[in-house]
Amino acid sequence: MMSSKTLAPAMAPQDSGDYSRAMLNILDDFASERDRRHEIQTAVLNVLEDFADEKSHFEATQRAVLNVLEDFAEEKSRFSETQRAMLNILDDFEDGKQKVETANNSLRQTTTELSRSNTELEMFAYVASHDLQEPLRMVTSYTQLLAKRYGGQLDAKADKFIAYIVDGTTRMQSLIQDLLTFSRLGASDLELVQVDIEAVLGVVTASLTALIADRHAQITHDPLPWVEADRSQLGQLLQNLIGNAIKFCVDRDPIVHVSVEKQDGYWRLGVSDNGIGIAEPHRQRIFQAFQRLHTREIPGTGIGLAICERIVARHGGRIWVESVAGEGSTFYFTLAREDGMQS
Amino acid sequence: MSQYMQPIHVLIVEDNPGDVDLLREGLAESRVHNTISVAGDGEEAISYLGQEPGYEDALRPDLIFLDLNLPRKNGREVLDVIKNDESLCHIPVVVLTSSGATTDVSSAYALRANAYVTKPLGLEQFMETVRAIETFWLSVVKLPRG
Repeated sequence: MMSSKTLAPAMAPQDSGDYSRAMLNILDDFASERDRRHEIQTAVLNVLEDFADEKSHFEATQRAVLNVLEDFAEEKSRFSETQRAMLNILDDFEDGKQKVETANNSLRQTTTELSRSNTELEMFAYVASHDLQEPLRMVTSYTQLLAKRYGGQLDAKADKFIAYIVDGTTRMQSLIQDLLTFSRLGASDLELVQVDIEAVLGVVTASLTALIADRHAQITHDPLPWVEADRSQLGQLLQNLIGNAIKFCVDRDPIVHVSVEKQDGYWRLGVSDNGIGIAEPHRQRIFQAFQRLHTREIPGTGIGLAICERIVARHGGRIWVESVAGEGSTFYFTLAREDGMQS
Repeated sequence: MSQYMQPIHVLIVEDNPGDVDLLREGLAESRVHNTISVAGDGEEAISYLGQEPGYEDALRPDLIFLDLNLPRKNGREVLDVIKNDESLCHIPVVVLTSSGATTDVSSAYALRANAYVTKPLGLEQFMETVRAIETFWLSVVKLPRG
């Protein structure tokens, strides 16, 4: 309550009106001083309040900034995680790339080896077609020339020996020919064209004319479709199957029928005969090369059905046999069907 | 029977004496009078046909039997020489080989072989083949003579 303002010194009594006025002035001054102080105080309080406001605002901002910073830190750690993951993926990718490269290399190597083995196979085929048959021809021809020139000077036994030699070399030549066909099937490319199976069958039966006449064979067929196939391989396939059908019919006239059935996505062709049939345990292995069920009584190289199997497989189909021993067999094979191509 | 006054001259280019003798056997039965010369490899065949030193008196053949697999120069090279020589290119060349490989067949015809024949296995078939060749080339067709 004490003001710092120095009060006016006591005045003379004769001037008591002045004194009162002075006192009032002082009081006035004092009051206004108090008001001002109050004002100042209010102002200070306001400032303080403002300041407090400002401070809390600042704190809020700070918190917000901190939050943002925190979020940022989190984001950053998430980002580094992502980055790490990316790096891992890149690593994996590098790994994968290397693996692919390794695989590619080994593929290239395999391809090279394959093409080399193909070349070797071709070489073998050539050697087989030429060099192996050359000496064979000499043996056969000169044995026969011997028989022709000196037949009269030899006895019956000698004729039999000569027959054995010629028979052996003839079989050897069939073997070489069949092996050659078999090995070429693996090496050469398929020449896929639209083929009329009925026309191919016509060519096949024409080439089997002698056998068909000799065995009084009857060959019939369903109306046959067109297919996309290698013409010469399809011919070989039908020739082997029909040839077998006639060959493996020993005690009656062969009746062979070529059937066809339209199935889902493919044709199922069948070559049926009334021959000796094939017992269940042998129905798989007859398609392997050199697996013969009959050694002497029915001639053959044991490669014919292996050739059929390979031809069908190369055309993307399958081959199998259904049979009743003593009554006959049906060899079935499938060929891809193209709609609208059947005749 | 022969349409020619002079004997027909045949050149056999073959390295296998067994085959040479079989051809001789076959040609000996021929209705056409013929004489035979033999070249045992490709180089000899070219020397013979070019009447090179040592072969000055070589007779120009009317028909050539040519094996493909020959020592030194193979049959294809011999064929190439014959068919690119103006004085030889008219002579019919019958390629007679064991090979039935399609590449051999096509390459021989590409080099202008007149016929490609695969040697058959049996004696009778061989003789039959020689007879067929001989009948066609020595009797049926008319060849230029020079």
